[in-house]
Formats: sequence, C-alpha cells, structure tokens
Amino acid sequence: MDSVLQILPDHISKQISVFQKKEKLDIQEIRLRVNRPVELNDGKRVFWLRERSFTEADAKMFLNKISNFSLYRLEEELRHGFITIQGGHRIGISGDVIVDNKQVKAIHHVSSFNIRIAKPHFGMVQPFLHYLKDETIHNTLIIGPPQAGKTTFLRDIANYCASSKLELKTAIVDERSEICASINGVPQHLLAPRIDVLDRCPKAEGMMMLIRSMSPDVIVVDEIGNNRDVEAIDEVIHAGVQLICTVHGRSFRDITRRPTIQQLMQKSIFQRFIILSNHEVVEILNEKGESLYHGENVRTTPVSKFEL
Amino acid sequence: MIKLLASLFIIGASVLLGNEYANNLVNRPRYIRFFKNALQILEAEIVYSQETIKESLHAVSNQIPEPLATLFQHIADDIQHDQDELYPIWEKHIHVFYRSNPIQVDDKEILLQFGRTLGQHDVIQQQKYIRLAINHLERTLKEADDKHHRYGKMARSVGVLIGIFIVLLLL
Repeated sequence: MDSVLQILPDHISKQISVFQKKEKLDIQEIRLRVNRPVELNDGKRVFWLRERSFTEADAKMFLNKISNFSLYRLEEELRHGFITIQGGHRIGISGDVIVDNKQVKAIHHVSSFNIRIAKPHFGMVQPFLHYLKDETIHNTLIIGPPQAGKTTFLRDIANYCASSKLELKTAIVDERSEICASINGVPQHLLAPRIDVLDRCPKAEGMMMLIRSMSPDVIVVDEIGNNRDVEAIDEVIHAGVQLICTVHGRSFRDITRRPTIQQLMQKSIFQRFIILSNHEVVEILNEKGESLYHGENVRTTPVSKFEL
Repeated sequence: MIKLLASLFIIGASVLLGNEYANNLVNRPRYIRFFKNALQILEAEIVYSQETIKESLHAVSNQIPEPLATLFQHIADDIQHDQDELYPIWEKHIHVFYRSNPIQVDDKEILLQFGRTLGQHDVIQQQKYIRLAINHLERTLKEADDKHHRYGKMARSVGVLIGIFIVLLLL
C-alpha cells in the first residue's frame, strides 16, 4: 500500500491516509477519474473522497511518476491498457485510444486509472491439498465466476507446487500478468524457488514454448477458453506434464456444456475440478464428476460487486 | 611611482578581461559540442536501451567531460520519487550552469525547451525532440564558431590596447 501512496499525487495520498485511519477499510481498488472525486472500494462498498478532485494535471503527474518521468517506457503498457508497478499492484487505464491498422497503438490523454491493490493471499489451498495430489499434483481445473478468487487460488497452488514441499518445476504462462504481476519479467507475487514465468505470452504458444524449453513438471495457466488453448492442453498432457488451469463458469454442469471444454472432458484430461465462489471452495469433484468435498455454509447468492 | 603601479594595474585588468572574453569565445563552441554529444548519448539510452531518464542521465554523465558530467549527475541525483515533475529540476540546474559557464541565452533556451519535452512522449516522438534540440544546437554552434574565428584572436589584443588607451587618457 505504501508503494501506491508514494506515487499518488500528494493531496490524494493524504486524503487516503486520513480516510484509512478513520474507517478501517481493506481497500481493493482506488479509482481516479479526471475531474471526479477519488473512489475507494473494498469490493463491496464504495467510498468517495470529496475533498478535492483528481485533475488533468494530476493525471499527467501520476503517469510521470509511474514511469519514473520516462513515459516512453510505458509504450507497451499503454497499448495493453494496464501497468504493473512495484509491489505487484496493477493500474488499469482508459482514455483516448489511438488506433493504427485496426490495432490499439496507445492510450493518449489517460482519463481514468483503476489501481488494484494486490494482496497475495496464501494458504487458501492448504486445507484442500490432500484432494489435489497423491504422488504428484493432479491435472486440475478451477471453475468459478469472475471475482470468485480463481486467480488467487491458482497462484496459491503454483506457489505450493514450486515450494520446498513438492519441489516441482512449475512454469506459468501469464498472459495478462495477473498471476505473477511481473515487472521486467520478474514475478512480484510468487516467491517459491522453482517458478518460471512467461509473462504476457499468449497461452497456447506459451505452453508449447515451456515444454520445449523449460522442462516443467507442472504448467499453470489462467482462463482457458478457445480451441487453440484446448489443442495446446492436449499436447501438454501427452508430454507428461501436469496442468493446472482456470475457466469461467458457475458450476461443473455449466462448463461441461461449453463446446471447447467438452472436448477436454471427453478425453478426461482433468482429474480434479474445484468450484469456487466468493473466495471459497464450494465443491471438489473427481474425474468422474463425483463430489469429493462439499463446502459448508457456502453463500449461494453472490454479493454484488459494487453497491452504488 | 604610484602612477606607474596604477597604470600597470589598469593594463593588467583589461588584459585579464580580454583573455576572459577570448576564453569564452573558445569555450562556448566546445560546450555546445559537448551538449550535442550528451544529447546523442541520451538518445541512444532512451531509444535503444529504454532506460529511465534517471539512468540515462547517469549514463550520459559517465561519458562526457566536465563540467557537463557534473551537471547531468546533479540532475539525475535530484530525480526522486517524491518529485512531481522533472522540468523544474532540469530548469534549476541549467540556470545554475548558465550563470557560471560561457554558454549564451540562445543555448540556454534550447536546453530549457528540450527539458520540457524530456520523458513526456513515446520513443519516436522523444527521438524527434532530441534531434530537434541537436539541430538547434548545431545552429548556435555555427554562430559561436563564427564569432570565435572573427573575434578570438582580436579579443586578447583589444584587451591590451584598451588598457593602454585608458592609461594614456589618464596620464
């Protein structure tokens, strides 16, 4: 959090510090919009700092600070729409988009920043580990709706695989820099010794590259979905590498209806399915779809993301 | 006796002034050349190595002679995270440099203009601004060289002559 406050304009970081002292808030996002008050939210509630708005000059200054006064270094980031800063926090940006050859070339005049505070939660996987491994880790598919904690869970498993407990060579294809929040290719969130990361690499290519070059025991990818991913997964499995990945969906039934995933199911590639909701494990299924674990006291109604 | 001493003193002073002026004429083109080199190194650091401004300035200061090395070193050292903008730092140091070195207002203005663009654009745009500043420096360099050739030798002798002239007037 300090690393974020440091780069924010002075008046805003002061407002945030004062606010935090008053309201013990576990801030998830700080949203800055030009000529609007600053928004803080913890994923459920929204708070506004109305004392002073975020100005255009502030926006310019903020970008300058993020880039160490060297905007030319953000070219790639401005094209992708997000910037990862020290501490693994991610700043999403939007504004005036410059298009070249039907491709986004850059974002000019950035008008909105969404600073997502990274708090790597470790230990979420711990209670369920015995479901996920016997001799080695099972091929696992993590299922959940957006914001259910899929990536957090995935990160935790990756960290566990690569740690001294399992000592598996763990390779991660981090297409959107979400799992590891790498800066210059060095992961900020994952500290286990046996982790290799392909940052911002398309998943299908990335998986093949890793098999050829890094001789991994486990490959970890986020959000599989299209046919190319499925083909690559087929390759991975037949190369004798274990696979852990996530997919969007509410239930086991949900995803078995998706044509791309269906292919994987028919080949019964995955031995474990973990269903997540609201950062909690709802259910763990085996390769036949039989329930191994069913969570208690699971909230079934999803909490709305923003109560405006 | 006192008169003789005073005369010598006056002549000595004007010789020094003449020399100083002549030195300025010699040094200005030299310094402009250094600045051009510095900008070229900066361009390489920014365009090819994609280093931050701070690192680039450090690299520049390691590769060019004094007093520019110190100038760039100071600017780089002053860039901290709690700073809001880069330009005020640049401006301050260029002003200090201008006051104690033989560069002229024109040269200073070019450097200040350039400072406003530093780190504010993408690579291609930044490169253009560096090239532009180099072109402008080229122009002032030519002018400085001309002046040097025209007045360089004369300045020293004019110093001596003016000294003698004043002494003759006062006698």
